[in-house]
Amino acid sequence: MRDFRKVCWTLHREIGFLVVGLTIVYAISGIAVNHAHHWDANYARVSEPVRIEPTGAGPTAEVEPLVLERLGLERAQVKTTWRASPEVLQVFLEGGGYEVNLVTGDGVRKGFRPRPLLFDLNFMHLNTGKGPWTVIADVYAGLLVVLALTGPLLVRGRKGLAGRGGVLMGVGIVLPVVYAIVMRFTR
Amino acid sequence: MRTMVLIVTLVATLAASAALAGETKTYGKGVAGADTVKVSDLLANPEAWVGKTIRVQGKAVGVCEHRGCWVNLASDVEGQTVRVKVKDGEIVFPPAMQGDMVIAEGVWTANQLDMETTKKVCEHQAKEKGETFDPNSVTSCMTLYQLSGTGAVATKN
Repeated sequence: MRDFRKVCWTLHREIGFLVVGLTIVYAISGIAVNHAHHWDANYARVSEPVRIEPTGAGPTAEVEPLVLERLGLERAQVKTTWRASPEVLQVFLEGGGYEVNLVTGDGVRKGFRPRPLLFDLNFMHLNTGKGPWTVIADVYAGLLVVLALTGPLLVRGRKGLAGRGGVLMGVGIVLPVVYAIVMRFTR
Repeated sequence: MRTMVLIVTLVATLAASAALAGETKTYGKGVAGADTVKVSDLLANPEAWVGKTIRVQGKAVGVCEHRGCWVNLASDVEGQTVRVKVKDGEIVFPPAMQGDMVIAEGVWTANQLDMETTKKVCEHQAKEKGETFDPNSVTSCMTLYQLSGTGAVATKN
């Protein structure tokens, strides 16, 4: 038993060091994406009104160059345009674009840029890239299981499984179980 | 120590290759062998395509701002668009995709909405266009057609 506890100590210590970086990635991103309904966790967005001299709702081939000129855009900057409706022309640029009402001249400039650091953390957490990151994430999950199983065996006595440690472990297990049961019967 | 250096190098290489894989412009399962249907043909008779696996092509002119769970593709006819909806989190379309040429594949679906939902959809559409919405103007239930997407490929213009 003493040797087994020693193995647990070693595994817990080494793996503990190894997963510090990944745990921070998943924890920070976890908070960010938990609140995805409150904010855009990946992109900072801007939206501001613009106004140009109206071009009228003529044929797209005629009004498009006028709109670009009145917005002060070079053709090379433009990814593409789209006549969303007879009155509306959308202009797509790298990192944003414009939506202009051809009849009134009113429009909106929309821009977006990836949030520094958080975009990358979310990319990893949500495994958007798939591929090799799936392997890394799976290994990380497995290591967390090893940490969870070895942790309770590290300390003996009143602070261990037989005492306070056991109570805390029980709380940590009961919490998700109760939540799952309540959800099952109330949803 | 030599072993530790080797492990760190291996992990760093794996992480770098994972990051490179994320740069691909293929989303989900990509596109395979299904026939490409012109959006205008699809929208001219949407009921005829329900349940079929098809491929559509068009400029991305709108992307879901919340979760990147849908992209609107422009038709070959001005003003028409078709929505490609994917499962939340399974495929994420980035806002930078707007303006790119996209080929998407999936199953064409029809969702019959009730009156309450139809009014909500119409209200949302009016809000997006900056128009005022009168609930009494909605007199019949709407059928929402969209491509339940399994994959897409985006090419920069």
